[in-house]
Amino acid sequence: MDPLLTFIVILVGMYGLSTSKNIIKSVFSVTIMESGVILLFLNLGNLEGGSIPIITQASEIIADPLPQALMITTIVIGSTVTALALMLCIKVFHHYGTVEWREILRRGGGK
Amino acid sequence: MLFVPVYIIFIPIFTALVIYLFKNRYINYLALLAQAAITVLLVLYHYTYKGNYGDTLFWFGDWQTIGISLVNDEISESFLFLSVFSWWMVLIYTFEKGKTDHNFLFFLMFLQGVFLGLLQSNDLFNMFVFMELTTIIVTILIAYKKAGDSFRAGIYYLLLNTSGVLMFLIGIILLYNTFGTINVEQIGSLIHLYGEETVIRFSYVLMMGGIAVKSALFPVFTWLPRAHGVAASAISALLSGLVVKGGLYLFIRINGMYAGAAIDYTEFFYWVGAITAVVGVMFALSQKDIKQVLAYHTISQIGIVMMGLSSLHDTAMFYGGFLHIFNHALFKSLLFLGAGIIIKAYKTKKVGEIRGVMRAMPVVSVFMIIGMLSITGAPFFFWFISKSIIKYGIMDSGIKYWILFVVNIGTATSFIKLSQIFFGQKRMTIRLKRLPQRITLMTLAFACVALGNFYIQIGEGFFGLPLQEVTVADWAALFDYALALSIGLAFYKLVIEPDYKPVRYIRNFQMSFETANYLFVVFLVVMTVYFVVL
Repeated sequence: MDPLLTFIVILVGMYGLSTSKNIIKSVFSVTIMESGVILLFLNLGNLEGGSIPIITQASEIIADPLPQALMITTIVIGSTVTALALMLCIKVFHHYGTVEWREILRRGGGK
Repeated sequence: MLFVPVYIIFIPIFTALVIYLFKNRYINYLALLAQAAITVLLVLYHYTYKGNYGDTLFWFGDWQTIGISLVNDEISESFLFLSVFSWWMVLIYTFEKGKTDHNFLFFLMFLQGVFLGLLQSNDLFNMFVFMELTTIIVTILIAYKKAGDSFRAGIYYLLLNTSGVLMFLIGIILLYNTFGTINVEQIGSLIHLYGEETVIRFSYVLMMGGIAVKSALFPVFTWLPRAHGVAASAISALLSGLVVKGGLYLFIRINGMYAGAAIDYTEFFYWVGAITAVVGVMFALSQKDIKQVLAYHTISQIGIVMMGLSSLHDTAMFYGGFLHIFNHALFKSLLFLGAGIIIKAYKTKKVGEIRGVMRAMPVVSVFMIIGMLSITGAPFFFWFISKSIIKYGIMDSGIKYWILFVVNIGTATSFIKLSQIFFGQKRMTIRLKRLPQRITLMTLAFACVALGNFYIQIGEGFFGLPLQEVTVADWAALFDYALALSIGLAFYKLVIEPDYKPVRYIRNFQMSFETANYLFVVFLVVMTVYFVVL
């Protein structure tokens, strides 16, 4: 896969963030953007015909292990962010009765 | 001594975990003990490596040149001292005997460890991890009051900052793909090879986009007044005074890394800072909520810091902005903490309803007045000095000079408005006399005054800067201050107090989340055009 294709996934996330009026959809957009970033980095570290980065013989051709190690961290952080955002979503719904951005700004009265 | 950077990251984190495990009455003192331990370690560290910061490079697990590393220099070390000081202030301010709320202390100490890690990291991916962890913990602290508006502010902050930090991560990926390393020093030494390449320029744009969101620069500042306006006062003081400076610190570090690429960012970020400063002051003038006023002033002060920092690394103007970071941390913490006491006593945040503070709470009032004098740039306070340094740098260019003057007038007007709370009849208030809070305010006020009067010694002792040429007896600067105050007073009486329609319009202006994100994309596109295409 061309790494440039993953930029499309990132742009879909950006588009969702800057158009969706619903908090849940914004959370999904962030998740999509994050998936795009992870795909991008894994693609760049990939090697055509290479094997997994566990060295058993010295001459083996392996993929770059660093992107995989870093992206597992990003996945963990991303899931934390998603969980926290959804929790805040539920709390916002309890307080305002809606999850629309404009609506919660209006009902809150001011900032 | 080489291990001290690791200790000062992990001591607060372990303390937080222990506090969370043993929730009893005496465990609160452990936080103070840990804080004292960090302070002692940091002072020893400073005296060991003073002058030769090249030796502070620390590799984890003996993976030389490919592992995770921490490093310190003058800039990061002064930030370390500032953070530890700020956490002392917040810990003492919120300290109560036999307090049962340990979760707050857990998040506070954890945030300290993470923030100290962010300051020392020599590794781009670690910077990303620490930035993201800071975002998560700060979100929890903002939403800690469990009111509707704090949840709303929390999710706004979380999503906007996460999308910014993801942009930063894409920048890191592009750099890794080019250089095969994520170490700041190694990239910095190699970057001149590909300085003109589109990929490098584009990664610079993405990283600056992430940093702009984190430090609330012009188009993407809307999360800050919400977040800092609704959080508990002690948290607001910490966020406004210090955590938002994490973005500015990264601005210094990342631009240091890109120095070899010869990217000319001075003009661009000067104007971004100037617009941020003017817009922040404009919004602050229209607000009626005391904490919103202070939060919008944080934005405008960040703009001023950016105006200074945008200048190149070894110029005097850079140090004007850099010193203003410390200055702002002190007086903004003082103002937020003092406002917290006043809000608690009067049970309202509306500036119009609080009157007669001078009679009701004379001690707090004196400290608040010191904070207000500091932020308006009065002589004998430190902002007068750093402002003079910035002014000296932009003296030749007329319009740049006038922008700073306009911001000064706005700040003066806004604090003339705030100072109305001191006058008037005494009202029935709740008497709250808590010694720790007073100690905090007194220390901060003392630090404000001391910095303003002993700036020559401090500048030489900590940063090796000769500041003798900046004097308080500069009649032009004194005249400027008097002029700003008098124009501000007239402006307040004629425009702000009658509350005309434009003022009301600005007050009721709200930016929805998707608009803020749209502006973020526009900002990225503008930066791409400026840095990559042109």
